[in-house]
Amino acid sequence: MLTIIKNRVIQLVVVLFILSLFTFTLMKMAPGDPVLTILNADEMVVTEEDQAELRNKLGFDQPLYVQYGKWMFNLMQLDLGKSYMSGKPVIEELLTRIPITAELTFFAMTIMLCITVPLGVWSAKYVNKWPDQLSRILALIGASIPNFWLGLILIYLFAFKLGVLPSSGIGSYSQIILPAFTLGFTFAVVYARLLRAGILQSLSEDYIYAARARGVKEWRILWLHAFRAAVLPVLTIFGLSLGSFLGGAVVVEILFSWPGLGSLAVDAIFNRDYPVIQGYVLLTGVFVVLTNLFVDLSYYVIDPRMKRKEEAL
Amino acid sequence: MRNYKNILVGMLCLVLVFMAGCSTTQNSSEKQEEKEKNVNMIFSFKAANLDPHTGFIPIRAGLTETLLKLDDKSNIEGWLAERWETTDNEKWVFEIRDDVKFQDGKKLDAESVKQSLERSIEANESLGDSLKIKSMEADGQALTIHTTEPYPALPSELVNPYTSIVNMEEAKKDGEEAFRNNPIGTGPFKVKEFKSNQFVEVEKNEDYWAGEPKLDSAKIKFNEDANVRALALQSKEADVVYNLPAESLDTIEKDNKLRVESIPGLRAHFVLYNSQSKNVKDLKVRQALDLLIDRKSVVNDIMLGHGLEANGPFNSTLPFGLDEEVSELNVEKAKSLLTQAGYKENAEGLMEKDGKPLTLELVTYKARPELPLIAQLLQSDASKAGIKIDIKTVENADTHLVENKDWDLATYSNNTSPRGDGSYFFNTAFTETGALNVGKINIPELNTIIEKLNRTTDLDERTKLTQDASKVINKEVAHSYAVYPNIIIGMNKRIVNWEPTAEEYYILTHNMDVK
Repeated sequence: MLTIIKNRVIQLVVVLFILSLFTFTLMKMAPGDPVLTILNADEMVVTEEDQAELRNKLGFDQPLYVQYGKWMFNLMQLDLGKSYMSGKPVIEELLTRIPITAELTFFAMTIMLCITVPLGVWSAKYVNKWPDQLSRILALIGASIPNFWLGLILIYLFAFKLGVLPSSGIGSYSQIILPAFTLGFTFAVVYARLLRAGILQSLSEDYIYAARARGVKEWRILWLHAFRAAVLPVLTIFGLSLGSFLGGAVVVEILFSWPGLGSLAVDAIFNRDYPVIQGYVLLTGVFVVLTNLFVDLSYYVIDPRMKRKEEAL
Repeated sequence: MRNYKNILVGMLCLVLVFMAGCSTTQNSSEKQEEKEKNVNMIFSFKAANLDPHTGFIPIRAGLTETLLKLDDKSNIEGWLAERWETTDNEKWVFEIRDDVKFQDGKKLDAESVKQSLERSIEANESLGDSLKIKSMEADGQALTIHTTEPYPALPSELVNPYTSIVNMEEAKKDGEEAFRNNPIGTGPFKVKEFKSNQFVEVEKNEDYWAGEPKLDSAKIKFNEDANVRALALQSKEADVVYNLPAESLDTIEKDNKLRVESIPGLRAHFVLYNSQSKNVKDLKVRQALDLLIDRKSVVNDIMLGHGLEANGPFNSTLPFGLDEEVSELNVEKAKSLLTQAGYKENAEGLMEKDGKPLTLELVTYKARPELPLIAQLLQSDASKAGIKIDIKTVENADTHLVENKDWDLATYSNNTSPRGDGSYFFNTAFTETGALNVGKINIPELNTIIEKLNRTTDLDERTKLTQDASKVINKEVAHSYAVYPNIIIGMNKRIVNWEPTAEEYYILTHNMDVK
């Protein structure tokens, strides 16, 4: 287990380095810089001189490798720089936003589990009967509707037509339901199909027949044997798709005005707030790599064969 | 069977939890309404902090005020300063109102105004350049400002919300962070609770100098999605909502509890020409293109009626707007202008000169969704006159237009008179060094008028010069103005004594009330 963790940490450093190199170059290649926004040219008279002066002050006139080198040098000292727009340290910006996105993601995952597990098990139990068909239709819907549209429909239904939930905002539990459902639903129904396939697969394994032959109760077979084996592939896919989960959070955060990491990133991209974009990308990178590590480690808990394999080695 | 029961019980619990959450919030908001007069608003622009010197939310939320303001016809009038005078445009004396107190009870005097202005210049990157203040002296209620050069536009610049007056002594005591979350201004409302990028809740300032505010409190939320704002208004969750999408208006107008206000704004959507391009260098070609902009269709079909056909840089409802007729779509006249410019119609119906058909590159961007539509409309009408237009959509128009020289025309949008004065737009979009003069326009006749305007104080004279400059721009077709988009605001009919204004600065006022 320790070797895995060690390898992953090395992998993390390499991934982050390549990631930062790519984002930095891509960002600088994209047209535009934050100078006009910082100077507020839409409201105040700004001259070309002012622009040149600020570009010089921010170091935009230096060659790309010098700019990257400087940024890297500061990063080595754990300094992500300051946001051009707010003037606050990027670390501080990120830290104030993380809890908000974490809250949204946590509730979205809870909702996801509440849908995925029953739906997946149910449709595996009644293969090709109506529960299975229902879950198939839901999966098709979930895979094909965009997040923002589902969010708007939910707001239309629950905030406007029924008037039972607030349309947006953050703070109370009633304000979490709609965004968390919007984010969780599309993943949930697709994962439910994966879970169903996994359960069906393991239900046809020999150990299930053996269990049945021993007279083990059907619900025990389903939940303790088949389900446990079927969870592994779902977890893997989940780890891999965490990136898209965060991507989905961007849309949902804007729609429901949750000032989390996603909306921070979108603002930063629009304003070409380079230090914030870099900080966001690094943070997401760390997060995705770490989650995959946890997913791998969780195999040891769920699947005893893994432990035995390592012991055999 | 048992697993079913488990699942069912689990789901039931979830539903109950959800419903419990909903019902409590509803009850509490109903109770609140009985007790006090409260208004909920949703703005499309959000605030990371409440620093009045770098953001507009403090003035919009009625927290702070400036020395001068714009009246409902965009004329400059006194606010915290009662009177002001100058003899040479370099030495200005502002008489600060004697009856104003900050929200913490401290009396407003010239010294506190001075400190506040100093802070604003320090905190705002470009404010110093636009105020041109050399020094300030405070004596009782009289504030004397010396500018670095004769600067008649100073009063207009003091309308800028970034010059909001706040109690800096308090700020120094509490520290920068506290100040940025709770500025002590002179406005009718003070901060009750502020959550960065989420909302600001304000309560009334009972000692407000112009009279006790009618509302007890207000909550302003921020949401960038126009459809969500519209739905929040329809569900009565919000009383006032800014920048509604035009598609949602029909449904909202059908609701007899709601009302839509569509008021002339200070922005103009226009076509700008690249003076370095060989194709549109010829005035006749620009005149022809100007005649090919179907302004009626832009207003009716693109803006869905929420706009005004443009006849110059400034909204014609403004005191310094033009009252000239709006030019109409005229394909025949455009063709004859092109003929005069030496173009001939070829076998394919295209206008050509020296064997080359007239093909133009039009740059547009999506940040303002109407602009690409205006570009398409122009493309289709221009083809009727034998001009081929290729549309190029770029992400960042400002940079693209500066860094490339091969474009011919572009659709663009500007707030042309943010502070009740035209000089901002002339100086930024037409002078040699202006940051927004991407087409490198340089018209000697216009430059002379702008210079004169920059030195003139007399209001009537300024109005005349502004109109003269606009006429030169039209004559030379430096830009082709298409439409002045309206500001669309949705409101609940329970809101009374309040009308939205064009500059979008003064939103929460002490007169706003609810039925």
